[in-house]
Amino acid sequence: MTAAFPAAQDAPAARAGASAPLNLSPAGAGTDIGALHAPVVRLSGICKAFGPTRANDGVDLVVASGEVLGLVGGNGAGKSTLMRVLCGVTRADAGSLQIRGVEIAPDLYDTTLAQTGGIRIVHQELSLCDNLSVAENFFLEAPEAARALPGWRRTYRARARAALDEVFPDHGISVDARVAHLQIGQRQMVEIARAVATPQVRLVILDEPTSSLGLERSRQMRAFIKARALQGLAFIFISHKLQEVVDIAHRVLVLRNGRSVWSGPAVEASVAALVQAMGGASESVMRGRRDARPAIGEGARDLVRLSGALVAPLGRDVVLRAGEVVGLAGLEGSGQRDLLHRLHRRPGMGISRNGDASFVSGDRQKEGVFPLWSVLSNIALGRLEGRAPLGLVHDGQERAAARAAAEKLKLDPARFDSPILDLSGGNQQKALVARALVGEADTILFDDPTRGVDVAAKEDFYALIGSVTRAGRLVIWHSTEDIEFLECDRVLVFAGGRIVRELVGADITEQAIVDASFASTDGSERDATAGARGLLDRLVDLAPFASLAAVFALMAWVNPLTVSMFGLELLLGPAIALVLLALAQMFVVGGSEIDLGVGAFAGLVNVLSATLLFDTPWLGVVALVACVLAYGLIGATIQLRRIPAIVVTLGASFIWIGLGYTLQPTPGGASPEWLSAAFAWTLADVPATLVLIGVAALVALAIDRSPFGVILRGFGNNAQAMTLGGWSPLRYAILRYMLAGLFALAAGLSLTAINTASDVNAGGPFTLISVAAVVMGGCALIGGLISPLGVVAGALTLALVGALLGALGVSTDYNAAVQGCLLLSMLALRALADRREARR
Amino acid sequence: MTALMERLERHRWIWSALGVLLLWAVLSITTGRFSLHSLSGVAISASFLTLVALGQMLVVTTGRGNIDLSIASVLTLSAYASIVVAAGSDARLPLALAAVLGIGVVTGLANALLVVVLRIPAIIATLATGYILATATLIANRWAAGFSMSPFLKTLAAGRVEGVPLMLVIALVAVAVAGVVLGRTVYGRRLSAVGQNERAAALAGIRTGRVITCAFLASAVLAALTGMLLGAYVGGAFLEMGQPYLLQSLGAVVLGGSLIFGGASTALGTLCGSFLLILIVTTMQIAGLPPGTQDIVQGLVVIAVLALAGGRAVRRRRSVPRVARTPEGATP
Repeated sequence: MTAAFPAAQDAPAARAGASAPLNLSPAGAGTDIGALHAPVVRLSGICKAFGPTRANDGVDLVVASGEVLGLVGGNGAGKSTLMRVLCGVTRADAGSLQIRGVEIAPDLYDTTLAQTGGIRIVHQELSLCDNLSVAENFFLEAPEAARALPGWRRTYRARARAALDEVFPDHGISVDARVAHLQIGQRQMVEIARAVATPQVRLVILDEPTSSLGLERSRQMRAFIKARALQGLAFIFISHKLQEVVDIAHRVLVLRNGRSVWSGPAVEASVAALVQAMGGASESVMRGRRDARPAIGEGARDLVRLSGALVAPLGRDVVLRAGEVVGLAGLEGSGQRDLLHRLHRRPGMGISRNGDASFVSGDRQKEGVFPLWSVLSNIALGRLEGRAPLGLVHDGQERAAARAAAEKLKLDPARFDSPILDLSGGNQQKALVARALVGEADTILFDDPTRGVDVAAKEDFYALIGSVTRAGRLVIWHSTEDIEFLECDRVLVFAGGRIVRELVGADITEQAIVDASFASTDGSERDATAGARGLLDRLVDLAPFASLAAVFALMAWVNPLTVSMFGLELLLGPAIALVLLALAQMFVVGGSEIDLGVGAFAGLVNVLSATLLFDTPWLGVVALVACVLAYGLIGATIQLRRIPAIVVTLGASFIWIGLGYTLQPTPGGASPEWLSAAFAWTLADVPATLVLIGVAALVALAIDRSPFGVILRGFGNNAQAMTLGGWSPLRYAILRYMLAGLFALAAGLSLTAINTASDVNAGGPFTLISVAAVVMGGCALIGGLISPLGVVAGALTLALVGALLGALGVSTDYNAAVQGCLLLSMLALRALADRREARR
Repeated sequence: MTALMERLERHRWIWSALGVLLLWAVLSITTGRFSLHSLSGVAISASFLTLVALGQMLVVTTGRGNIDLSIASVLTLSAYASIVVAAGSDARLPLALAAVLGIGVVTGLANALLVVVLRIPAIIATLATGYILATATLIANRWAAGFSMSPFLKTLAAGRVEGVPLMLVIALVAVAVAGVVLGRTVYGRRLSAVGQNERAAALAGIRTGRVITCAFLASAVLAALTGMLLGAYVGGAFLEMGQPYLLQSLGAVVLGGSLIFGGASTALGTLCGSFLLILIVTTMQIAGLPPGTQDIVQGLVVIAVLALAGGRAVRRRRSVPRVARTPEGATP
């Protein structure tokens, strides 16, 4: 396949690809006659293989301006791969690509070109940074209008409001709300509005846009699609809900096992015809399979009982018995997954379970496979449950047990020793099901098990369900494909976190499930409350300042002199190094990493500035610049090689200290005059150090609030989405570390100025305190949430605590322990608060 | 050829073993006086490092970038505790052992509590417990009047059987035990599973909290025992004695071929990694490099090895999407 590729890509095409961005500029598009009549995109002969899986095998796709193309196919048919190729995320193995009439060589095509070409994709929650506000997320999509000036958000606030109003009238979403505070349906609304509001957008791909939208919102969106299509915007509409596709699309393309099997006008398509083309089992086959299963005996054991609030709409308990296949249906995010996880992990609160349960997830990468292991080890793990930790494992026994399970699933035992990732999606899923089968659990929980699985493997899976239940196990099955529920004996339909309907036997139809999903939509349609911040949140934000005030008051009470300007300078002046280092650490933490070398780095700068900078100023400046560049290099190393920042910065800390020792084996040196002077002036009686602390805080705040700061926070929260959005992770990793390096550099200089001498070990103790200050300041260690003013308050509090202990006559030996305890208690409190919020 | 590469990929410890042989050969040839005898000095240093590094390896195997930064303080404090409690007599040795084990168990449990229950990142949790222990060490330093050793402990740490240092035997036994636990037991499987994919491990019915707790416990206990033996070997305790073990334990694990992201580690590799690292340090000392340069080289070695190995880990694991929806077909 790859051999044919160079032939298809001759020199002129490559040249056209290289100059493509110029041709795609909006001004050129209007005058280019060819572009007016050319389709928005034309993909032909797209091939893409992942290992043994041919995800796309010669697929053609054309979308004209103003056209709505419905793209359908079962799970694993290759829809997502095709869309990833179209968006430049995945590079096709072969095939050709035309954007608005311009041929682009596939190996040049990337996300940036796709974006320039006006292609936008909406998939559920994947592309929003949930630590940012709705307006800031609009900025990430179209950064051109941003200026690094105060008030730059205003443009995006207006744009976000206008876009949401246009697509979803009465949406009730505040554009200043953090996305994390929105409900799943609202996030989807924001994503859709953001994609269609992008300037110069030509094609919007909607991947399952209605999966978590309520009835009214879904209607609004479809009305909007029709209106915008009339104005010339093209859409690709991907949905499992075939009726929706037939209603809204002009043309429909059906994929099956990576090939396009049917393409034609929507008026010629019917739901039944589409189902047949998709190759999925028809309704009658699925029903037939269910009816062929033996009836559940009277004596079947009760395995699961659901009661309480969960089943309140039904008004009675639900009892699930051995041998049954029970489906969990409803709009996505209505509580099906919650129930599965509660059944697996911690029954109770209205849920009781007899016997063991095992879990099989369709999200194989995240919840299923162990990527370093062979197929056999992945399967055999299921046999370990309940065994003693020091019991020995035997390869032979494992193989025998795994073979039995694999046979039922038609999984070839010859592949047992292959790494699991070499298998196709369908075979990986079979291995995971086999893992559940080799265990002895009475109940098997399936979470959307046929996701990304080809048709044949799906058939094997359906057939297996029968034999599993015949063996007396209970199967509980959550699916995102409503048609799969026809295989079930019973279906529990969820809405708003509760079970609202129970369908049995012949009552199970796709229509009945959809009707029941929307039967009580009060939960999902009510979206006015989101985005409002409670009093509690505000109090948490104020905590760093409150604790600073408390410690300060205590200090003033112990020693009244504290309140004088002299006392303040004495107490807070030396804290400037800590403040600067804490701010440096903050920017690293904002990227969900931790810098263990920041203190040592300040120590090195301390030495450099008191020796080289003092003796040979130009050489000193060069050395300091090199230090900041070295910090950028660290960022690049971490990003490029994807290695943990902690280990790299720990290693780097030894390099900094080693360099410092080499330059100056014993403490000494002297501060350059200008440097001392820079820290020794007063402004209206306020000493320089205090003013500089304020300046540092304002600079950090300004950076954080600027477009650049928003991008950094975006990377800290959802680097994948940022990368898909065309932002360079490498560039921003380097910039982030250089920014941290600059603040640490300032900290080192302040040490020299204040101590008027240098010691390479001077910075070391600051590493932990800087992390403590960042945590006290209200930043989340997982990244993306930072607060410069809080960090400054945190750093000052910690500096005061040290002074307070001294004033109380506590030995300095205890300083480290007190700081450690403070840090841990802050983190523990935060963890408890987060847990409470999660429960809410 | 590919079969050979695959074997090398599976047995990553071979690289560090080759490194040890190469460096030893170079040293023997260039210095002329680097013989089997001087190797036994290296072996003793490497044995101490191996014990600490085995614990670090278990913590690293739990994945998510977990690292135990408290081992340096645990080691120092245990050295002080064993000296203060044993006070130079074999009769009080059981008491000293109990104190040392107590330090290890309490620290390990505290670390595990912070990491597992409160979900605090391991580096922060262990950094903070390390600071608290450092204060305890400062206090112990005031008490530690004499430097008299328990004779038995001294024999254990510095003695030889047939010319072979006892410490080396202890380290080899520990490596063998760790190797069996990792490779052949239920716990080893669970640990590897947790390290590769904690969420999947929990869904596969593994009690991930217990598995992680055991790793932190083992790390702290091993560091504590090493502290006791090291105190006996050097004939006393001093404040900074644990410091070098922080980076070196991590360096040994990484050099040995265990994956820094967890899920796959090798006890044999950690042994080879320890020897390699100590040999590097010895070489630098023989070459007369100043201590500052030695620090720089050690830092560079760790970063360089990680940077080289990082790509391999990425290729094997790929980046796992953050969001639950994996695009279909993207799973090769």
